[in-house]
Amino acid sequence: MSIVTKFSDLDLTKQYTYADYLLWQFSERIELLRGFIKKMSPAPSRRHQSISFNLTMKIGNMFNLKSCQVFIAPFDVRLPIPSAKKDNTVVQPDICIICDISKLDDHGCNGAPDLIVEILSPGNSKHDADTKFRLYEEAGVQEYWMVEPEEKLVFIYTLQNGIYIGLKPFSEGEIINSPRFPELKIEVEAIFLNV
Amino acid sequence: MSIVTKFSDLDLTKQYTYADYLLWQFSERVELIRGFIKKMSPAPSKTHQVISRKLTRYIDRYFEHKPCGFFVAPFDVRLKSNNNHQIITVVQPDLCIICDLDKLDERGCLGAPDLVIEILSPGNSKNEMGEKFRLYEENQVKEYWLVEPFEKTIFIYSLQNDKFIGLKPCIEGEQIASPLFPELNFEIEKIFES
Repeated sequence: MSIVTKFSDLDLTKQYTYADYLLWQFSERIELLRGFIKKMSPAPSRRHQSISFNLTMKIGNMFNLKSCQVFIAPFDVRLPIPSAKKDNTVVQPDICIICDISKLDDHGCNGAPDLIVEILSPGNSKHDADTKFRLYEEAGVQEYWMVEPEEKLVFIYTLQNGIYIGLKPFSEGEIINSPRFPELKIEVEAIFLNV
Repeated sequence: MSIVTKFSDLDLTKQYTYADYLLWQFSERVELIRGFIKKMSPAPSKTHQVISRKLTRYIDRYFEHKPCGFFVAPFDVRLKSNNNHQIITVVQPDLCIICDLDKLDERGCLGAPDLVIEILSPGNSKNEMGEKFRLYEENQVKEYWLVEPFEKTIFIYSLQNDKFIGLKPCIEGEQIASPLFPELNFEIEKIFES
């Protein structure tokens, strides 16, 4: 294993581990999914960033004085995936909340966050609605929000007996009430403000 | 009660019944949700219509020799409300399947379809998501699909213990996975090809 400075030197058909990942010093943003490299878009869209900001402000205000911590991308989360090799899944969720502080280290989070939010981007639904959906479910992320900018909807899934169960989608005019964090209440309109 | 020929003569703050609805002879398309009038968009978008046509093609193929009715909007579905003998809810789902043929009459369907499919369109989501979701759940529609053109995803909600349970979204590269009609089979991406 050695330092890699060019993304093009990586083999996209090969499986890597977190130890490899730590030696990558190129500027491309990537995630490691069951060992396979998934390149992320170089910069999110303005709409994506506005939603991320709005949500962060709302969630941040709720968690200011609580023992849980809120992180926004880029922030590395190493997920425990029982059906995959150890330490070969590293994701960068748009927003995550972690209440077990012992999972946090200098590199990010080692373990499943309590809540993950992903903001969907056109043409990328497979990544969030399928690949990451299954990873988060298997890793034991208690609650997963998918924010859909075009229709201004928020789809929330909660883990029940190891399976994600979707709630009624939240639309404008409604208030999101997180099952995992009942004190977290957000107006859907506030998420899509200036979007 | 009398015949109404102009939409503008209706009072949008008032609650109406199906008996009133039958007397409306204007061209605007409306739905009646718990007595209140919801105006529908005069004509759906091209994307909406393409998706509707493709869904119709695959679903019709499956139900051709099955003893279920398959209907495409405009088609009136009258839903019952709790504690109310009068019908005050009339919706026009984009597509619906009804296997209890006793529910069908010349005017449409009286009672809950087995499967309701709605294709989302921007600006219309609020109505579809909020009130209709609850109406369908309350009336025990067994399965509800929300088709999302932008993300090319189908969100399936399955009635379990009287509640809609959201399943993993069906996305491009996958086959439709309906718990109610497990043998219904088509590729998701075919639905969204333009």
